[in-house]
Amino acid sequence: MIIGNYKSNYNSDESFFGDWPNKFAFILLCLLLVLIPFISSGYVIFLFTQVAVFIIAIVGLNILTGYTGLVSLGHGALVGVGAYATAILQSQFNLDFYINIPLSIFITSLVGVFFGLPSLRIRGLYLTISTLAASFIIIFILRNWNSLTGGDSGLILDPIEIFGIKIISENNKYFFIVPLAILSILFAQNLFRTRIGRAFIAIRDADLSAEIIGVNIVKFKLMAFGLGAAYAGLAGSLWAYNFLAILPSQFELHLSILFLAALVVGGSAQTLGPVFGAFFVVIIPELLKWAMGFLTPLNPTIMEYTAPANSFVYGILIIVFMIFEPMGIASIWSRFWNYVGRWPFSP
Amino acid sequence: MKKKFNLNRRSFLKNSAALTGAFAFGVPSIIRAEPKSWVMASSFPLTGPFAAAGSMGLKDYLDWVEMTNSTGGIAGKKIKPVYDDSAYVPSKSLANFKKAMSADDKPVFYGGDSTGFMKLVTPELNRTPVLCGGTSFSSELADPKTHPYQFISGPTYNSMFDILLQHIKSKGGKKLAFIYSDTEFGKDPIEHGVSKAKSLGIDVVLKEITKPAGAEIMTHISSLRRADPEYAILHGYVTGVWPQIIGGARKAKMSTKFLGTFWGMEKIIADAVTKQSGPFLEGYAGVTPYRYFYEAKEAPSYGKFFAFLKSKYGDEFPGYVSTWSVQIMFTYEIAKLAIEKTVNADKEVNAKNLVESLEAIKNWDSGGYMGKPVSIENHAIAQGRVYSYKTSNGLFLPISDWITT
Repeated sequence: MIIGNYKSNYNSDESFFGDWPNKFAFILLCLLLVLIPFISSGYVIFLFTQVAVFIIAIVGLNILTGYTGLVSLGHGALVGVGAYATAILQSQFNLDFYINIPLSIFITSLVGVFFGLPSLRIRGLYLTISTLAASFIIIFILRNWNSLTGGDSGLILDPIEIFGIKIISENNKYFFIVPLAILSILFAQNLFRTRIGRAFIAIRDADLSAEIIGVNIVKFKLMAFGLGAAYAGLAGSLWAYNFLAILPSQFELHLSILFLAALVVGGSAQTLGPVFGAFFVVIIPELLKWAMGFLTPLNPTIMEYTAPANSFVYGILIIVFMIFEPMGIASIWSRFWNYVGRWPFSP
Repeated sequence: MKKKFNLNRRSFLKNSAALTGAFAFGVPSIIRAEPKSWVMASSFPLTGPFAAAGSMGLKDYLDWVEMTNSTGGIAGKKIKPVYDDSAYVPSKSLANFKKAMSADDKPVFYGGDSTGFMKLVTPELNRTPVLCGGTSFSSELADPKTHPYQFISGPTYNSMFDILLQHIKSKGGKKLAFIYSDTEFGKDPIEHGVSKAKSLGIDVVLKEITKPAGAEIMTHISSLRRADPEYAILHGYVTGVWPQIIGGARKAKMSTKFLGTFWGMEKIIADAVTKQSGPFLEGYAGVTPYRYFYEAKEAPSYGKFFAFLKSKYGDEFPGYVSTWSVQIMFTYEIAKLAIEKTVNADKEVNAKNLVESLEAIKNWDSGGYMGKPVSIENHAIAQGRVYSYKTSNGLFLPISDWITT
């Protein structure tokens, strides 16, 4: 009789996906992801690709904020660093994407570590403010270093070319970016089964205690910043290849806040939190728009009222989640599959 | 013996393939591409910083569509308007664009709502071409080589500065300041303006950059006082900052004459400021490429639209349509003309042919929107006129002829 999700041996404890319902859900999700380009319009595929880019960025933020407890308001700007690094490497050095993307990740990671240095002296709200300052500095540089970044006009990229195929159609971009998002999630999932990941969690829970038991705080805090920024770098790079044009205004503070909101709504410190969070911030506004669209035939100018109503409903939804599900959507997901796994003995 | 018709999997696939082939190759492409109506899609900033202008623009645009459809549409087909809110976020406008372009009824024209969007959409237009205009007057867009499908329905910001500088020169101005917002929109013509002023023998004594909203007015006034220019051009603002700067300068007893560019030349804003804070905008002047709506006597197009709005709304119609809405309507008038020219030339209505028709617009009588016949050069129309605001009657009145650059 199954009465709980107990692990009775080391193999099950170390298993990547957990019990069968989780495996089943993962396979179902993968199948769905493969099917989407064949059953959806270009616009829907574009949205899913955007979700994938957001997932990568939010997974990075999850490592930094969710697992290590270092709240950052500069993550959007770091995504900008990744995007600009990619565009600049392509336009100035004519590098191909397979060099461009890893280099962009590396550059963003370095920038992340640099702006993470204050975390060695300050924490909590003060650290958050320092990341906010970092965001302003980065955006200022992007907007004013005209000769390198194109200033406010931004930069335009050439599409990726793999074996003569240009990654320019929505389908091609989808099949290029979505697998990378899945790999990013799996890497993060695995990270927290290692010594490094556990050190991050120890720092979040009680950094002094962690230091007492031998965790090198300096090293692991900077590593968290570096890793989080590396994810932001990858997301930025893919963002640039997805849009093929970038502007500094895309990476301003609102993007960092959006990522943070997505992480909280999706579920902080949970592997699937960024996935649900990204879906929430990208897809829900579109669904609201679509739903409100049914009112347009009643009065063509009704959008004047429904557009602000969308923002209002979206805000209310975030508040409702904060109140009724503070652990995020990932927690509902996990409870659901636990229920399925224990059925018919579920409570 | 009569062969029995038996639909099995193989025959079904074979017949389907044959039917698809017949449709794909057997029907001339021009017939397949023939739409039932002209889809004209656009993004409007219905939320965000320019929500007021966006809502006004949407309402007037839909009225313009209704009026155009009531008189037969374009080349005998009605316009189907498709629109979405962008919140003035370029990425959202791009998402709206992709949504419109992946719909079954593809648009023949897309109206963008920001310079940012016009930049972001450039690579996308190479993949899914469509004629694209909008609210941007960015100088960078007036280049058919780099932006083949985009056009500006007026002068570029560079041309607007040229017109203002010519006006200043004609008035004997020697010392000039540029006050502009820290945005792409604000910075666009500054470099060009400095070199043009130099060539005209005008000294640019100050380049003051401000926030686009909530600027530290007194700090900027201090800089302005130190520079003490005869003229100051305010650029990169829509509803705010420019009136506060003029107000601050007048409080500081400065005699500097202020000039603005199109987006800072709206009567509704000037009237509201005058009503709230007094008549300090008296004499504020600036360049606009379009006549004001109250100049309907010289603009038959405005007269028609006025009559339509009067019949639709009766006494509720205040008798004025904002310059923001006029700009949107004029953009659609150009798209309409390009479609008509393409249909009349018996060509397929696609982006390439529409651009050809657009580039062939020469000496077109715009029905009074603009003072001189309209010719599209480098996907822009380089003409405008300087108007000055009179607080006693709340009107911007012309103080120059129509100037081409």
